[in-house]
Amino acid sequence: MLCLIALPVFAILGIFSIKYRRLAADALECLFKTVTLRKCKSNLDQRIRAGISGTFLKYSPSAARFTYKNYKLISWIVLIVFLWSFYASAVGVYNYTKYGNCNPPEEVGFCVFDPTGKSSGISEADVDIVIPSETILPSIEDDDPIIGPKDAELTIIEFGCFTCPYTKNAEPIVRKVIEHYKGRVNFQFKTFYIPSHNESFSSALAAECAREQEKYLEYHNRLFEMQDSLNRGTYISIAKELNLDVERFKECLDTERYREEVESDSLMGIYAGVVGTPTFFINDRKIVGPKPFKTFKEIIDEELKNNLK
Amino acid sequence: MIFGYNVEKIRKDFPVLSKKIIYFDNACMSLKPLSVINKLNEYYNEYTACAGRSSHSFAERVETEVEKARQEVGKLINSKHSSEVIFTRNTTESINLIANSLGLEKGDEVIITDKEHNSNLIPWLKLKKEKGIVVKIAESNKDNTFNLENFERLITDKTKFVSVVHVSNLDGVENPIKEISKITHKNNALLMVDGAQSIPHTEVDVRKLDIDFLCFSGHKMLGPTGTGVLYGKKELLEKLNQFIVGGETVIDSNYNDYKVENIPMKFEAGLQDYAGIIGFGEAVRYLRKIGINNIKKHELKINSLITESLSDLIEEGKINIIGPKEVEKRSGIFSFNIKGMDCHNVAKMLESSKKIMTRSGMHCVHSWFNKKGINGSVRVSAYLYNTEQEAITFAEEVRKIVKIV
Repeated sequence: MLCLIALPVFAILGIFSIKYRRLAADALECLFKTVTLRKCKSNLDQRIRAGISGTFLKYSPSAARFTYKNYKLISWIVLIVFLWSFYASAVGVYNYTKYGNCNPPEEVGFCVFDPTGKSSGISEADVDIVIPSETILPSIEDDDPIIGPKDAELTIIEFGCFTCPYTKNAEPIVRKVIEHYKGRVNFQFKTFYIPSHNESFSSALAAECAREQEKYLEYHNRLFEMQDSLNRGTYISIAKELNLDVERFKECLDTERYREEVESDSLMGIYAGVVGTPTFFINDRKIVGPKPFKTFKEIIDEELKNNLK
Repeated sequence: MIFGYNVEKIRKDFPVLSKKIIYFDNACMSLKPLSVINKLNEYYNEYTACAGRSSHSFAERVETEVEKARQEVGKLINSKHSSEVIFTRNTTESINLIANSLGLEKGDEVIITDKEHNSNLIPWLKLKKEKGIVVKIAESNKDNTFNLENFERLITDKTKFVSVVHVSNLDGVENPIKEISKITHKNNALLMVDGAQSIPHTEVDVRKLDIDFLCFSGHKMLGPTGTGVLYGKKELLEKLNQFIVGGETVIDSNYNDYKVENIPMKFEAGLQDYAGIIGFGEAVRYLRKIGINNIKKHELKINSLITESLSDLIEEGKINIIGPKEVEKRSGIFSFNIKGMDCHNVAKMLESSKKIMTRSGMHCVHSWFNKKGINGSVRVSAYLYNTEQEAITFAEEVRKIVKIV
């Protein structure tokens, strides 16, 4: 059965070396004979069996014996894993071609084209949340600042956290999206605090306190810039820097004036099925993680088209 | 301990052994010492030219070096004249040259043994098909040793030629050439010996053994690949027809006829592998310096160690030896099968586990294996650079593989 795996592997290697071309031919012969229920003449299967068992013999005779005796079973397992990986790779390539990331918009995970994981991660909420049986899509609210026209063709809502590095990674992409679809889409950022992050809740409160003095966007941007050193001192220092009424700001912060607002935003996220940040909603479509611009463009274009219908 | 034989010192002469391999496929191809490799390079770097044609200094040097190689080979087999040594590409070509030059006719009998390499079987079967000669097979004893009585029974006044293997590549058994020669000559036939597996490992004196023709390869005895020899008694070679003709094989020619060259050039058509021949001469020098008898003793010691180390498994029938059980009858060859495992799998496992290189299959003796209904065997063939530790490692690995089955 390993002939099926050996064939594409050796065929690809055969492009570069004549040695593998011969092995690919053997694998093809072996596969053809196996499929037609005949004995494979090239014995490639047996050669692989002996080669693997022999390699194990170097380290553990019992492992070699096990491999030799259970070769057929192992072959089937390897084949299934191979086919599954092949399918997963094909899906990954499709996603990458369509969305610029191996993962579909609503999923995150390792992507070979993004080995650093810059656009493939989220900060998980990591709390015992009772997920509602039916999700309720989030909606734009007046108590959070809106970028773009109120009556835009399409609304993008982001659930993010100022302490989340992935939300920070998404910032330049969001800006690019807003710029690209200027006049056609509007955007609202909602805080979804991550309990395991120390400053997550406080930073969300600070941003709300800045909103009170109509400096939300500037404050929002500075919070991300200062992400690695967020604390009460930083919040006040940014407030001073942006010429806010610092005493009023301090009072807002200390009394947790907007606790309810922050909790309400997070709750909206929970009801919408958010499990980590950043998560974006474009109509009923979800983008999880700081996906590349291509992902957003693909979905926004589709949704804009759908809205026209 | 063989006096003066230092295997570790010998191993240093073989660059490829630095790869930490255990090379036990010497019956197929031997490794090459640095002196042979240097000799090849010397030809290409210092005097690349033709021999026997041009008269410039390079050509003269090639001529001299080729002649030196011819003399070296002649000394090795104790030929009467160096001109009795004809260089070919390999044993197969040497045998084909003889088979096609004898002028055998319909009804002429040729006797071979039942353990011949395809190289000493197919040329005769081809003549059987094309010319109607009769090919008789001398059956071996049950333990694969030569049966003189069987042979003697086959020989008749129609027998023109006897062509037998000296040492079998299948099992290492040495045939009694002296006795075979006596019987052959008593019946006015000619004797050719396939010495591919004997010349590299055992002293052969063509005059003492009264051999008419002897064929062997250079690449099995430390020489470059694609080098071989046909030895023939001068008076026989002079009478023999040419097989391949052309450049170098004639003294003169016109549009109607040509005048045949003397031996050995008569049989060495076209430009030769001069570098190979010169390298082959160096290989023979190297072997003679160490002493063929010393090498033979060393190989036997390696084979004894392997056989003794695995004797319990042989007794229990878990390992079947091809050929006689007595190691002294098998020279440096240990051909075997592990019960319940294909020979190719065994060879592959040996290489994967400890880089032990052996030969698996029918070793070009398909006729014997097919007759016995055996799919092949794993063949270990020792040579001068194999160590006792390698023999022990091999035996240990075989033991592990037996447990896997």
